[in-house]
Amino acid sequence: MTDDITTSRRDFVKGAATGAIGGALAGMGFYSYSGSAYNRLPKVARAQQDFGAVRSVKVTNISETSWFNNAHLMEDIRTSGGLLVDQYTIGWGPFGNGKGPGKSSYEDGIAPIKKMIPNDLEAAWAVQKKSSLHPDNPGGYACLIEVEDLDGSKHKYLLDVGWSYDWMDQSFKREGIDQMLRSGEIEALFISHEHFDHFWGFPVAMKYNDHLPLYIHNGFYKEGKQYVKDSGYKGDPKVVDKEMTQVRPGMMLIKFDVPIICRVYGETSLAFNVKDKGLVLISGCNHQGILQMTSTAYSKLKYDNDRFYGIYGGLHISPFEDWDPKYDDLVISLGKWNFERVGCNHCTGHLTAKKFVEVGYPVVRGTARFRTTSPDYLGNGDTITF
Amino acid sequence: MEADNRGVTYLESRKLVKRWNGPWPAVVNTLMIFAIFYATWWVFQDPRGIMRMYTPYVGYMVCRWLLILFIWMAYIFDYWPFKRSWLNRTHPVVKGIVLTAVCVLAMEILIKGFFMGILGRYGIAYFNPDRLRAMGLTHFYAEEYATEAIMMFAAIASWLSPSWVVACENAPWQKLEQPTRGITIAVVTFFLGTIVYFVTMHSHMAILFYPWQKYTAITPPYWESFANTVSGNFHIAWIMSCTVVVWVYESIWERYPFNLIKTDWLRRTSAFFGIIAVAFCLCFFLFYAQDLSWGLHIRGTRREMAPDWRWLHVGESAIFWLVGVLFLSFFCGNYPTKYSRPVNVFLRTLISAVIGAAVYFLYYRYAHLFLGTQKGISHPQQFPMIPMIWLINLFLVNMWFMDGWPGWKAVPKTAEELEQVEETIVAHDVKWTPSLAKGLVVGATAGVAAYFAVIAVMPWIGQIQMIK
Repeated sequence: MTDDITTSRRDFVKGAATGAIGGALAGMGFYSYSGSAYNRLPKVARAQQDFGAVRSVKVTNISETSWFNNAHLMEDIRTSGGLLVDQYTIGWGPFGNGKGPGKSSYEDGIAPIKKMIPNDLEAAWAVQKKSSLHPDNPGGYACLIEVEDLDGSKHKYLLDVGWSYDWMDQSFKREGIDQMLRSGEIEALFISHEHFDHFWGFPVAMKYNDHLPLYIHNGFYKEGKQYVKDSGYKGDPKVVDKEMTQVRPGMMLIKFDVPIICRVYGETSLAFNVKDKGLVLISGCNHQGILQMTSTAYSKLKYDNDRFYGIYGGLHISPFEDWDPKYDDLVISLGKWNFERVGCNHCTGHLTAKKFVEVGYPVVRGTARFRTTSPDYLGNGDTITF
Repeated sequence: MEADNRGVTYLESRKLVKRWNGPWPAVVNTLMIFAIFYATWWVFQDPRGIMRMYTPYVGYMVCRWLLILFIWMAYIFDYWPFKRSWLNRTHPVVKGIVLTAVCVLAMEILIKGFFMGILGRYGIAYFNPDRLRAMGLTHFYAEEYATEAIMMFAAIASWLSPSWVVACENAPWQKLEQPTRGITIAVVTFFLGTIVYFVTMHSHMAILFYPWQKYTAITPPYWESFANTVSGNFHIAWIMSCTVVVWVYESIWERYPFNLIKTDWLRRTSAFFGIIAVAFCLCFFLFYAQDLSWGLHIRGTRREMAPDWRWLHVGESAIFWLVGVLFLSFFCGNYPTKYSRPVNVFLRTLISAVIGAAVYFLYYRYAHLFLGTQKGISHPQQFPMIPMIWLINLFLVNMWFMDGWPGWKAVPKTAEELEQVEETIVAHDVKWTPSLAKGLVVGATAGVAAYFAVIAVMPWIGQIQMIK
């Protein structure tokens, strides 16, 4: 009798152990990806922070050509070891040391030019050209943002400072940025992220104004922070450590904590509420993803007509003219967000712009001047007003 | 182990005996493996290291194909062309070096000779980087695309190859001698893998190019509306789950419960498709868990909110579990073993899941400090599967090629112990009784309740800040 009970209990436990795994698997398999399961997900709670409004936003594309030969850039990345290699070690100017791909360092690169920046950039870049990879390839990304307040007053901001000292100085002069910086017309500089093509031209801005207010993401590495100092910056950088930083009424700086290729961390982008039109998003590279930014704005901010009006900037889709099926997911689904104007360039990629146009998105075309190679999107010297 | 026992494979024929009492064998082997992991990671994969194969796809392809070659060597070919006598008498370190070197050589021949040389030159252009370059792609992306395609093949093989041995018991070729059996199973699984590749990954590769290669592949792919993406990562999710479940079934589950089926064909078929079914359960759960933790996915965006990344992360999460499974099985003596098989299986499943979750957390919190990678959950070019599979490869080299040296040594199994091998294949320790049935009902109810309890806390788990 006792044996029977023991056997019975053992069998029960065996069955219970087996059934527990089976029951859990059944739940996982039959419920997890079902409509019922998704009905229980909480709806997005919209905070709808009222951050004011502006009358208009005008963007002048100072430079979107971050590099002039994509094959050369990718060859440097390939020979250095791929997309995860630290950008300061690849061997690009101004941090080349002549030892070959992937063998440079910030310290090696800055040493011979430290005393030349920011006042003798021509000489500094000439020194670097001798020891860096593909020295004529760097260009850079930067744009001028002119915000018109509701009372009609205007405010100018610089987003990013490009890469090559030579190219960026030429580009600044072409658009009159040098004078605006010198006169203090430009009220602040936002560095969207630490990437070479957005940040390494920093001494060019310092040449004309070494104390203008500066915003950087708190994910900057020590090399980036040191470069700010070594470039002669005399101000106190505002290290952005909150998700939302209001710059002025109707203008919000949004921080995203995302890991980025070539050992960079984090990006900040700008959002504007344009009176009677809606939300405008402006980014350097948009590594976080344009729909991620859109989604963040949707859940956190209040904007006119509750609609997305426009985008400007690099949308980081096919920066190296590469492709991935996930990029097609964006091409397929961007239309659902109903942007009225899409002003893209730079790391958006020509192929992406082409696909956007094919599916009927309102991509604003450019004039293909100043070494921008295609009118598919807004090129160097082009402007867009939202 | 004097004579070849042709009815029993080398892995089945040996018993690994601890050289020291207590936890020391596990501790010593773990430390040794981590030291070798870090050294080899630095030499081959680390973006700061010597060869820097983590481009990422070159390194991804290499670690996956090494895994397949290890499986082929130990499971499919039963160490052919090495004789059993050589395996028995050679020092484990020498065996580890020689067998690993042979696998690396075979991998090179397969990748350069078959995929890039034959398939890429005479069949499908995207397998050959030189062809892609000749058509205008940059050298970097020509290599990345080709290695991505070759890597996808390995992902499929990592499920099908061991599945044929573990679930199908090598049938119907189990009685053939080596190398006939190995070649036959390798060819058959490769053939099946090719079919699976074409219906899962070929469309993904075809839409890498502009315009979509609609005359050679189905575009948009058939899974688009179901998976909410055109990316083949949806298939990576369930295929990697299959890979993991095969090893779960073989190691901590001891082939339970399908080994209760006495009819050979039914047991084998049930096991093969049962593994797929369990894998889909795991796959859907891991996807849903992410939506619960981080919010509903958004199609078209990037990073952790994108459905394509979340499908990929299903496979990545499953691999973290596999690390826990294999560690428990290899280095902890498949702990626990003192209860009945179903109870052992249940407890091991829980323990390995906890280990897997711990490895997951530790990886995202600290790995970037050591591996030359970037902090953050969803770097677009970082794949935690690469270091995890690299680590698993070292587990396999240690246990399969080195007999667990230095913590363990191989001794021949006794006749009684060999009977236990048969008992694993066809078990007799669980029989249908009314009590078992009651237990099943109660257990299943508890399992369903546990599932709902877990999904109830997932939103809270999602709030844990892993990245600092």
